[in-house]
Amino acid sequence: MKAFACYHPAVLMLYFVAVLAIAMFCWHPVLLALSLAGSALFYFTLAPARVFLRESAFLALLAVAVTAANPLFSHGGATPLFFINGNAVTLEAIRYGLALSVMLAGVVLWFRAYGLVMNTDKFLYLFGRALPALSLVLSMAMRFIPLFRRQMKRVGDTQRAMGLYREESLPDRARFGMRVFSAMVTWALENAVETADSMKARGYGLAGRSHFSLFTFSGYDAVMLAAIAVLTGVFAAGAAAGGADFSYYPRTVQLSLSAASLAVYAAFGALCFLPAFIEIKEKIKWTYFKSKI
Amino acid sequence: MDIFQIENLSFAYPESARPALDGVSLSVAAGDFVVVCGQTGCGKTTLLRMLKRELAPHGQKSGRILYCGRDLSALGDREAACDIGFVLQNPESQTVTDKVWHELSFGLESAGLPTSEIRRRVAEMASYFGIESWFRRDTDSLSGGQKQLLSLASVMVMQPKVLILDEPTSQLDPIAASDFIATLQKLNRELGLTILLSEHRLEDVFPAADRVLMLQNGRVLLYEKPHAVAEKLRGIDAAHPMQSALPSACRVFAGLGGQGPCPVTVKEGRRFLSDTCVSAPAAPQPEKSVDSGRVAVRLSDVWFRYERDLPDVLRGLSLEARSGEIFCILGGNGAGKTTALGVLAGLLRPYRGHVLPGGKRRGGRKKDGCCGQRAALLPQDVQTVFVMDTVRKDLGEACAAMGCDRQRAEAMVADICERLGVSHLLDKHPYDLSGGEQQKCALAKLLITEPEILLLDEPTKGIDAFAKRSLTALLRSLADTGVAVVAVTHDVEFAAVVADRCALFFDGQLVSEGAPRDFFSGNSFYTTAANRMARHLYPWAVTCEDVIECGGRNRRVKP
Repeated sequence: MKAFACYHPAVLMLYFVAVLAIAMFCWHPVLLALSLAGSALFYFTLAPARVFLRESAFLALLAVAVTAANPLFSHGGATPLFFINGNAVTLEAIRYGLALSVMLAGVVLWFRAYGLVMNTDKFLYLFGRALPALSLVLSMAMRFIPLFRRQMKRVGDTQRAMGLYREESLPDRARFGMRVFSAMVTWALENAVETADSMKARGYGLAGRSHFSLFTFSGYDAVMLAAIAVLTGVFAAGAAAGGADFSYYPRTVQLSLSAASLAVYAAFGALCFLPAFIEIKEKIKWTYFKSKI
Repeated sequence: MDIFQIENLSFAYPESARPALDGVSLSVAAGDFVVVCGQTGCGKTTLLRMLKRELAPHGQKSGRILYCGRDLSALGDREAACDIGFVLQNPESQTVTDKVWHELSFGLESAGLPTSEIRRRVAEMASYFGIESWFRRDTDSLSGGQKQLLSLASVMVMQPKVLILDEPTSQLDPIAASDFIATLQKLNRELGLTILLSEHRLEDVFPAADRVLMLQNGRVLLYEKPHAVAEKLRGIDAAHPMQSALPSACRVFAGLGGQGPCPVTVKEGRRFLSDTCVSAPAAPQPEKSVDSGRVAVRLSDVWFRYERDLPDVLRGLSLEARSGEIFCILGGNGAGKTTALGVLAGLLRPYRGHVLPGGKRRGGRKKDGCCGQRAALLPQDVQTVFVMDTVRKDLGEACAAMGCDRQRAEAMVADICERLGVSHLLDKHPYDLSGGEQQKCALAKLLITEPEILLLDEPTKGIDAFAKRSLTALLRSLADTGVAVVAVTHDVEFAAVVADRCALFFDGQLVSEGAPRDFFSGNSFYTTAANRMARHLYPWAVTCEDVIECGGRNRRVKP
């Protein structure tokens, strides 16, 4: 029931690129908070509760460590709180450490969500266009690996059943490994010849190979794409007008509430909560339908 | 119109003295279902590959092949690739990609069709072949039958005018194989597709065929309608090796010296028998006593599952294997027959029940093999037995493990190879041998370990009728030396001929057991074609030989 994952891979990819670019390079505390909240909510809708809790605990620990460590290494800032070994621990450094840990946590969660939403198929589809040969090779490799593993188990079982190599003797075990390996090399070559035949028989190597996939670009994808583009555009315009500027050193600046800043907050907030919103909407819809049936 | 016209085609592989094809001339009419048969090495594969330009072997070629009146070499690349479809033998290695949908679209991508067209054709093929429910699965998760069906479908999406298949069912179990043949028959009947199929299991394909091409040493022996093939083969040589490969009805017809059109199916054979013979109340001949022989191994109430959360595969299985006896376990796919062999071989350990060597409980737990007994397992995929680059080295490896010195090893290898008739194969690479030869060499390697129990997993898979016959003789001679032979098989015809005792494996245990005659005459579906054909006259006759013998003694006297 992953509603967001149903969008076209290109749309998904664009979304993650946009969000991650902003989340990784903006230091504005409001933006960082939005990124963390959006990613956490999204990840919560995707992952099982136990996984989500484990991940959250890990990130909380990381955040404490980063926040505590930053002032020990960075002594800039205008507001010393106390001194350790003659070095100032400043308020600004603590604030910066906190911002850093929020950013890290947000980015980690975005990547986790990315992993759940974008599987190999989608990735291959996107980059297969640029490199068709590579995508075919990857697909063949994905086919070959389980085949190889199974054959290796078969050969091993057969050899073990014959009882020619004693389990307790180390040289015998080494010999066993070597024999199985050499048999597998021969098998792999043999197999490759037959696979090549099968490819040739189906016209591989003809000029003008096309690229097929199951993904279709629908109206929903277009709407989503437009939404992402508009929100990113508004954000970029606001940021160009200085709406996303913020500095921690030497003295943390006041949060700005200018028009540009408000536009930036709103656009990025909408962008971050978009997937979570879609997931939750879908969940409510299904629950509602279920109660009707 | 003729799809293929082959004119005086000869072909020799490089560095081979004997030509693989020698003056082959024939024509294949559009819409025909042609079955190509012959003994291993007769040139079937070579001939079929010559018809597909991309797969044609390299070597000395003379003569012409015309495709729709044009020389095969004059076709455009695209036309040659798309119009002539070719399905290979091994479903594993001819699957190219990881997803079912990608495999289906592979050929169309090669042909450079646009996405919308590929989508339409793939959808059409997937529905026609019933692939929808596993359309998005990984190809690796499919069964053998599904994989071969996928291979067929992924050739059919290219809309070929002619379909060539080189022993496509040899790696399938008999049920998947007859399903596959039925699909081919449907394609031929509903689409008028021309099909050339090479096969060695002729029982199923003979009734489907329009024409049968029988090759011998690279020459055309016969190219006739199915029923005529049986008659003419008898005319050429009554004891021809291919005789034993023919469907049971043809063999019984030939054995009884029938006249007129030869029956091909069980139905026709039954009618022929009713017309020529009368029933006989004769009691079956006394069989070899079933309870003879020392118990080599006994399984008592064995339960096994692969993982804790998986269902039981063996549920209270009890069986006995006796020295000097051939015991066949029959049963459907995935019933757990192979698992039972694994337990007997000591590869798998049951979580409940006992494996008792010699049939008795012994003190202490033995670590290796079948509880201290020497058990050897011949796997389904005999290729996995070989780990060296010649058969000789492989046998040497087994001798070394047995701790033989050089002289004894050589004597032993020579002796065993003599018995199995594989002496001439010793210096070949195991992968270059035919299915039957590979199996014999694998057996040779197992026999060097001097097993008391020989376990065979689907021994007749992928070998021709001739190799099957020699395997039967071989197993019999091994049993006579006191080896307990246990074979797990789908092949009822083989079991009927070779077994001293048969049992049906169902739901994790053996449900019925007995001498082949009692066993098969008690079943009405799960029995041999010969028995199905003759059961209304001679219910105890299970092999073609039985039927011919009974029929010969009880001929209908012409009024």
